[in-house]
Amino acid sequence: MDKLVAQYSRPQHQNDFYSEAEQQELTEGMPPLSLKFALPPVDNRAAFLRAMTDDHANPSCPIKIAHGTTTLAFRFQGGIIVCTDSRATAGNWIASQTVKKVIPVSRLSRGEDKPSNEPTPGLLGTMAGGAADCQYWLRYLSQQCTLHEIRHKRRITVAAASKILANLTYSYKGYGLSMGTMLAGVTPQEGPALYYIDSDGTRLPGNMFCVGSGQTFAYGVLDANYKYDLTEQEALDLGRRAILAAMHRDAYSGGFINCYHVKEEGWVHHGFDDMNPIFWKTKLDRGEFSNVTSEL
Amino acid sequence: MAASKAVMRGPTIIKAEDDKTRQLNPHTLMAFSGEAGDTVQFAEFIQANIKLYSMRNDTELSPAAVSNFVRGELARSLRSRSPYTVNLLLGGLDPVTEEPSLYWVDYLASLAPVPYAAHGYAQYYCLSLLDKHHNPNISLEEGMKLLEMCTDELKRRLPIDYKGVLVKVVTKDGVKEIPFDNDRVARSA
Amino acid sequence: MSRRYDSRTTIFSPEGRLYQVEYALEAISHAGTALGILAKDGIVLAAERKVTSKLLEQDTSAEKLYTINECVNNPFLSNECITDPLESFELMICSNMICAVAGMNADANILINYARQNAQRYLLTYNEDIPCEQLVRRLCDLKQGYTQHGGLRPFGVSFIYAGWDHLRQFQLYQSNPSGNYGGWKATSVGANNASAQSLLKQDYKEDQTLQEACAMAVKVLSKTMDSTKLSSEKTVLLPVEFATVGKTNDGKIYHHLWTADEIDALLREQGLAKVDDEPEAGEIK
Repeated sequence: MDKLVAQYSRPQHQNDFYSEAEQQELTEGMPPLSLKFALPPVDNRAAFLRAMTDDHANPSCPIKIAHGTTTLAFRFQGGIIVCTDSRATAGNWIASQTVKKVIPVSRLSRGEDKPSNEPTPGLLGTMAGGAADCQYWLRYLSQQCTLHEIRHKRRITVAAASKILANLTYSYKGYGLSMGTMLAGVTPQEGPALYYIDSDGTRLPGNMFCVGSGQTFAYGVLDANYKYDLTEQEALDLGRRAILAAMHRDAYSGGFINCYHVKEEGWVHHGFDDMNPIFWKTKLDRGEFSNVTSEL
Repeated sequence: MAASKAVMRGPTIIKAEDDKTRQLNPHTLMAFSGEAGDTVQFAEFIQANIKLYSMRNDTELSPAAVSNFVRGELARSLRSRSPYTVNLLLGGLDPVTEEPSLYWVDYLASLAPVPYAAHGYAQYYCLSLLDKHHNPNISLEEGMKLLEMCTDELKRRLPIDYKGVLVKVVTKDGVKEIPFDNDRVARSA
Repeated sequence: MSRRYDSRTTIFSPEGRLYQVEYALEAISHAGTALGILAKDGIVLAAERKVTSKLLEQDTSAEKLYTINECVNNPFLSNECITDPLESFELMICSNMICAVAGMNADANILINYARQNAQRYLLTYNEDIPCEQLVRRLCDLKQGYTQHGGLRPFGVSFIYAGWDHLRQFQLYQSNPSGNYGGWKATSVGANNASAQSLLKQDYKEDQTLQEACAMAVKVLSKTMDSTKLSSEKTVLLPVEFATVGKTNDGKIYHHLWTADEIDALLREQGLAKVDDEPEAGEIK
């Protein structure tokens, strides 16, 4: 009889504790976030992964994950500036100098980000940490955002998109994900919005974030010269300069400076430029980087 | 209740204006600290459940009931595969008796009703001050003075810049933020 | 005609009725009367128990009145911060819930067990007694389920609940097999409940004391029961049960299921006991 009673009395109340599966369903019911992955058959997967991939402690570790980055984004009166470097490293090895670390998160603009002055509607995501993790989950996020767009006939807010990603990273907490992502976008509901999401499950709205191994260098330049009232040109220049500073000092950052401006109508790409001419121009024209000698 | 405004990740303060509190119902406030990600997830989970209770039953839970519920949830999570690592302070006013109460909860799900409390490094500095100057009948104004003494001491001795505190107060009219002078200079002797 | 619609609880008849639920109500209207009266300082529940045979053992516990939630004595119930741990054990806030049953006792046992479990589970979660209405509602949600899920018959029980909580103080509720419930000042269920109800309506006074309410309960019960004298010929025992929820002088809430002696005293006071068949104390026990 008790069984019958249990069967026909619906869960009354939050203290009829939800089972883990029910909770999973509640939190992840829609959109389905429970993707199935094969996991290594070990007790502590995070520790296993760390042992296999930590090239810092063990230079001969079997898997070297592409790491190391400088990315930054900040809000100003004209919208949001997003800048990144383009280097991917695996241990001490530079795996690539031409990584696109800004990923459009939108159905309409997932094709190519051609340099153009036509604004493209949609959000931008940045990549720091494991390149594969970021690419995979930002792709996944853009799938969810596109579905949202189709279902609700309007673009997803940055708050909601960032929550999807944060819930996702939180659900994989301890499994060894490594990402530090910023989401930037302008929506009618929020205006310009910037969120930081990382693989701990942290999700923070804010005005300015720098993420990656070169973050401290970027913060240094950015904090000193940042004002909300920056003009668009000043803002872009500041973003580039901050990235340049990090590329110069951080061995794991370098390559090309990738710059985006997010405004009301959408994002605009402002170049993917080799750092070297910019560095020398900055040094020679403006007299900065005086620790570097220009003569032989 | 006061909570620091800084969010740290590694060597960097990534946010200096964070709100580490959540209002659970019109007269109960929860402040939290602990593992990144866990804190907000847990706080919002609790917030949603308390709201659900209010909607279903058309009454508000007392702070005593809320804190026991929170303790229960934390204790349950502690015995699961992935426990929440969060420390909490719960403050509130009983909707019927209008008695104020404060509860201290740590990540091992201990619950204690206390007259004053602190989590983190702050407690090593503040508790002695509170022991000395607190009595149950102090007014809000005196309470704010006492809080100022605590933050001054933290500024003097804590080697970390916690970016000031966000202060909220729970009265019978509800929860409101109180402006707090975080720029005061506290001089060492 | 009704054949087609009354075999399943889940099916409405063309007139929009649920026959099984109505049959359940019918079953209850043959059960012993139970009534409850709300007074300003407490609540009284009274019930008639049908004695079918004098061979039946009568000294077992009450069969019409049950305690659903006992009072607790708990330090965390205090809303003040407790500085002195010893002081906390002095504090005692009570919420009590008792109920009277009309209908099938076997069904009632299931529901009462369910209610007790729920009350305790709430206590475990919140360290606070469950508010009366919530407990009633949970029970009624269960009852409702049995009017909707296929293949089961509804519970053949109506309840009258008496309780106290700090939200609404003394409260009286009634529920029936359909899962409906409501709060009342005075109400009755079971046999002759229509006449009991009209008597209650006629005699009810706002602001009456618990004592007056008890007197009124006996009077109403005596008029609706088959025998005029409440102590029937069939048995030496009194076929009524009484329970009260009230407040002691120092403000604590108590609930009390009356002993036969106490009931007897009340009946005597009201001139309703059989005088010639004066029961000895030993016989009652």
